[in-house]
Amino acid sequence: MFKEKAEKIFAKNYKILMAIPIIITIIAVIFIGVKYQQTGDLFNKDVSLRGGIAATVYTANLLTEEQIKSSLQVDATVRTISEVTSGKQLGFIVEVSDLNRDQLKERLQNLGLELTSQNYSVEETGERLGQAFYRQLLFAIGLAFLLMGITIFITFRTIAPSLAVIFAAFMNLTVTIAIVNLLGMNVSTAGIAGLLLIIGYSIDTDVLLTTWVLKKKEYGSLFQRMFHSMQTGLTMTLCAIGVMLVGLLVSNSIVIKEMFTIIFIALIVDIFATYLTNTGILWHYCKRKNIT
Amino acid sequence: MNKLKQLIKQPRVVIFLIALILCFIAIGYQFNTKGVAISAVEQNSTVYLAGMRSPGSDVSPIDREKVIGINNKDISNLKDYNEVIDLINLGETVTFTTTSGNYAFIKTENLGITLTEAPSSNLRKGLDLQGGTRVLLRPVSDVTEDQVKDIIDTMEQRLNVYGLTDLTIKSAADLEGKQFIIIEIAGVTKEEVKDLVAEQGNFEAKIGNETVFDGKEVTFVCRTGGSCVNLVNPSCPISGNGRTCSFEFEVHLSPEAGRRHQQITKNINVVAGTRYLEKTIDFYLDGQKVDSLSIDQSLKGIEATRITISGSGSGETVKEATKNTIENKNKLQTFLITGSLPTKLEIEKVDTLSPSLGSVFIANALLVGILSAIIVALILYIRYRSIKISGLITLTMLSEIYLILGVAALFKQNLDLAAIAGIIASVGTGVNDQIVIVDEIKRGVAGTLKQSIKKAFFVIFVAYATIVAAMLPLLRAGAGLLTGFAIVTIIGVTVGILITRPAFAVVLKSLME
Repeated sequence: MFKEKAEKIFAKNYKILMAIPIIITIIAVIFIGVKYQQTGDLFNKDVSLRGGIAATVYTANLLTEEQIKSSLQVDATVRTISEVTSGKQLGFIVEVSDLNRDQLKERLQNLGLELTSQNYSVEETGERLGQAFYRQLLFAIGLAFLLMGITIFITFRTIAPSLAVIFAAFMNLTVTIAIVNLLGMNVSTAGIAGLLLIIGYSIDTDVLLTTWVLKKKEYGSLFQRMFHSMQTGLTMTLCAIGVMLVGLLVSNSIVIKEMFTIIFIALIVDIFATYLTNTGILWHYCKRKNIT
Repeated sequence: MNKLKQLIKQPRVVIFLIALILCFIAIGYQFNTKGVAISAVEQNSTVYLAGMRSPGSDVSPIDREKVIGINNKDISNLKDYNEVIDLINLGETVTFTTTSGNYAFIKTENLGITLTEAPSSNLRKGLDLQGGTRVLLRPVSDVTEDQVKDIIDTMEQRLNVYGLTDLTIKSAADLEGKQFIIIEIAGVTKEEVKDLVAEQGNFEAKIGNETVFDGKEVTFVCRTGGSCVNLVNPSCPISGNGRTCSFEFEVHLSPEAGRRHQQITKNINVVAGTRYLEKTIDFYLDGQKVDSLSIDQSLKGIEATRITISGSGSGETVKEATKNTIENKNKLQTFLITGSLPTKLEIEKVDTLSPSLGSVFIANALLVGILSAIIVALILYIRYRSIKISGLITLTMLSEIYLILGVAALFKQNLDLAAIAGIIASVGTGVNDQIVIVDEIKRGVAGTLKQSIKKAFFVIFVAYATIVAAMLPLLRAGAGLLTGFAIVTIIGVTVGILITRPAFAVVLKSLME
């Protein structure tokens, strides 16, 4: 009963449903384009991609962001790290591009902190290297995308369904970057690793869908097959979202948090990309090719 | 019971079990560790002369030599060590009992030994978890592969002089074809080490404009022993705004250098009323003059193959000046012993990471893992209403984590925070694959179980291929700093598809029959 009703609604409205994610993707692309126009970058880069110093101070001293910033006297990002289970503050992370190692240490010490090799970590990236990282990691994303596309084409050997999968990956990537920009997040090398994982991670459901639709015709009607694959796919995505959510709520490492936030966003975007657009394209394709 | 017996005989299950056992051996978890592990012994230091040595880089973490007793008192951790060693006065005899023997020596100010808590397994923690220094260097000019090897060898020797063997030096080329050298030194490292690796270390001794000898012609460098090496003026006289000390040590030269000395000095006059020649011998390091010495008249026109080299160091206080002088002396000696690098290097990135939160991060990662497993088990139970299925997937997930750790230990792969994220991500795809298998078998409308499993594996292979494809560019992009993450993720999904997935399918099949 439910399935029949759902099928009717879907058959009638699939073009509109399919259009929603496409419009969102276009908006995301424009949004990223404007960002690129204004800043020359696709997203906000942290010091590992821009050049600069990220210093971590492990201290029980409760310093406010304002105190730290005013002592540094330059543009800086300050974040605190705390133990999730107890809420106890473990320390803070400072990112600056306009100070050198010694200046930064001196200004932090002006806050009354005693910095030793035990409680102080410094990661310094030269500007040229940061820029090279950024260029190459963008290139890596492009290359990964291309390799993924080739894999998909080899797998399905049909143009429209393969393009549908590739579009889903494209949407996941662009909408995620747009949301990351909206949230004002700074992306580091780890964040880019997260973006790369999206390419591999989020198209599982699309591959599953396409396989059910094109390669398992004996399993029932077209809509039934899509529905089955959605049951499986949503379970998969839900599990992954659960894991990412645990990671980003419970982890106290900013590396893990950043990666998981990005993948978490992408997984949610993927639900729309797969079950609105990709199903729509496949539905349209199958109707034209008389696949039932 | 019968089912279990049958299962254990299945080849895929056997492979899985053997893999688990191999990983258990590779990880080599130690339930009670004794003592503190030796991580570095400085050359010619007190303990070095007593016979202790740095561990080789090929020794696996749990096989490291450990100090287990001092003067017959048991040592089980760093706290014990510090307490016992602090109670012993300078000049008193100390006997270290280690896992390989006994070493006796007289206690001095700096023993020259670095110790860490004894590792409890062969899992290698990344720098962000255990603390350490990472330096990324770029040769200024184009270098050949041989030169890169040469650079790495020289650096290794330089660091070994400081007793640092717990390190990796590797070259990495990035996607734009640039060469990099990455040095990772575990544990707390002295500031001076950073200068040591980056400097080219080209030494030259000149009289006037003529080169008498360079670093390559030094055949022996005196490093210990009272007469041939010393601080010239230990009181560090006031100079300028601070104090300056100087050092001298003797080196031996090749015969050709000696003859050059004879040729150059024979025409230089003695300054009237003194014992010295008109010209000085000047020492240059990487084109910068470090010091000048007057030449005694007795050396005029002599084939000198034993020569004294000097230098200095300054600071605001006597202590600081002395420290800098000793550092400069050690550096210069190291350069003379290990030779210069074929090209100048530029420091592109320096990370100094504190070890203090490593254990907090590890405990936290474990918590994330456990909570994730619970969440996944819960979601799967709600979906399938079967403790068997949800439990089996969760168990498989945990065993997969263990297998990934085992393979990482086997390949000596460092596990840093990014790698942990990679493990979680690849185990996540594993869960996805298992859901595909379960659904395929449950809905096995057409054909046998075997066919259903075959169909499920089609999707699994495509997913595997795309995730590996996505990780491949990372092996090189960004000077290899994300290589660890990419490798661990690839290990993770590969272990999954080769070992756990097939075993899972077989066990699931038997559960559902």
